Amino acid sequence: MPEKIKILYIDDESDNLFGFKASFRVDYHILTAINIPQAIEYLDQHPDIRMVFCDQRMPGKSGVEFFEEIRSSYPLPIRILLTAYTDVESIIDAINRGNIFRYVRKPWTEADIISAIDESYRFYMTNSMLEVKVVELEKAYDELNKFAYSVSHDIRGPLSGILGAINIAREIDDVDEMKEMLFLMESSLKKLDTYIINMHDYYSIQRGELKISKIDFTKIINEIKTSYLTSAEAKGVAFNLEIKQGEHFRSDELRLKLILNNLLSNAFKYQNQKNPDKSVDVNIGVEHNTATIYVKDTGIGILGNHIGEIFNLFYRANYQEVGSGFGLYNVKNALVKLNGQIEVNSVMDKGTTFKVTIPSI
Amino acid sequence: MNYSFIVIDDGELDCFIVKRIIKLAFPNAEISTFTDASPALENMRGKLPDFDNHCTLILLDLNMPVMNGFQFLEEFEKLPFDIQKGYKINVLSSTKNQTDINQLAKYKSINSFIEKPLNKEKVLLLMEEAQSQAK
Repeated sequence: MPEKIKILYIDDESDNLFGFKASFRVDYHILTAINIPQAIEYLDQHPDIRMVFCDQRMPGKSGVEFFEEIRSSYPLPIRILLTAYTDVESIIDAINRGNIFRYVRKPWTEADIISAIDESYRFYMTNSMLEVKVVELEKAYDELNKFAYSVSHDIRGPLSGILGAINIAREIDDVDEMKEMLFLMESSLKKLDTYIINMHDYYSIQRGELKISKIDFTKIINEIKTSYLTSAEAKGVAFNLEIKQGEHFRSDELRLKLILNNLLSNAFKYQNQKNPDKSVDVNIGVEHNTATIYVKDTGIGILGNHIGEIFNLFYRANYQEVGSGFGLYNVKNALVKLNGQIEVNSVMDKGTTFKVTIPSI
Repeated sequence: MNYSFIVIDDGELDCFIVKRIIKLAFPNAEISTFTDASPALENMRGKLPDFDNHCTLILLDLNMPVMNGFQFLEEFEKLPFDIQKGYKINVLSSTKNQTDINQLAKYKSINSFIEKPLNKEKVLLLMEEAQSQAK
């Protein structure tokens, strides 16, 4: 059963409060306040109050004045005025000044109140859903813009490069020069391929559902490490792994792998060529229902003013190796889905450490 | 009049192609390539070009990490005028983005916009134009 709707009722007559509570407490969660300070206190303590019923005629401040006051500080609850007034002008005034959703004539009947609650609740839900949707849509549009931009550069760029290469191939007679160009064409195509794979990852993270299973970090690392061993050897990078998992851990394997793969590939990609002692250290520990993952490299580091932006879509803080601008954005999104956190610590020319914490689901 | 070229593009293949095409049109041309815009700028900042009998054509890509084409233009236009007039900047990009193209209008130092891919004809046209301007 869904939770009861939380309703606050304010009236200076305790009999009314008592009657209201008695009538509706079974179906709703009723809070009653005898004066405005008490009402404000309730609003502070219960941000999940969905609607506020308030009597118009109270000593000190009228219901309309009260609503006018809370309208900006507590904008979410729906405001309903209880009034014995029959004067249309004052009701219009109440609606305009207090921005109330509706009013209920006093003395009220149970049916009046229930219909007011139902109507306001529907309004509240529609409103809050709309707000969530608007935020989602704005984000989606923003990303779509970035995508359109990136498609013109990151896809069209390599393609026009390849086309250009094919064009001049007709003029090249020297075999070595041709080989050099073929090599460059190959890396350009590989980059394009990585881009498309990352774009697919992006989509699966955003839209795909979580598949929760028992996670064995040793098994996962064994599966993904092979692809880095060759590059570790070729680049002369020491690859150190340490895993301590003494308890069960549950999470989404696909997203965990994506996070690890992105952090690892960055750690190898952005090594400092001048450093004779290159290394990548991975340290994974699982305790108290939380996995803590450190990926530490001896790479080129990230400039302080870029750190805030590295998790942004299509942001690239570096020249050294060509990235797609997807990697860390995908990591961040995967972590959002897994309820995890990421921290970065980086020193220029010394290296970067990413710390990821993920709770067991 | 002597001409030399500076190619600024983060893609190695693009640099290779542009260099090769210029060579095709002008086998003896002096060409330097940069995959990173800031050292190119530092190089220019350092020396007063001999612009009496010499013109350097720059081919500048727009979408590059860290310092993109726009940021390069921004910095270039802050250089002393004596240095600036030794160079002709030509934007060479695959962009279809209207915002990019509109933004280019802001930079007085741009000589022309060339759409990728570059070919021999486009280089010849560029040179022809440079030569007629020099006269």
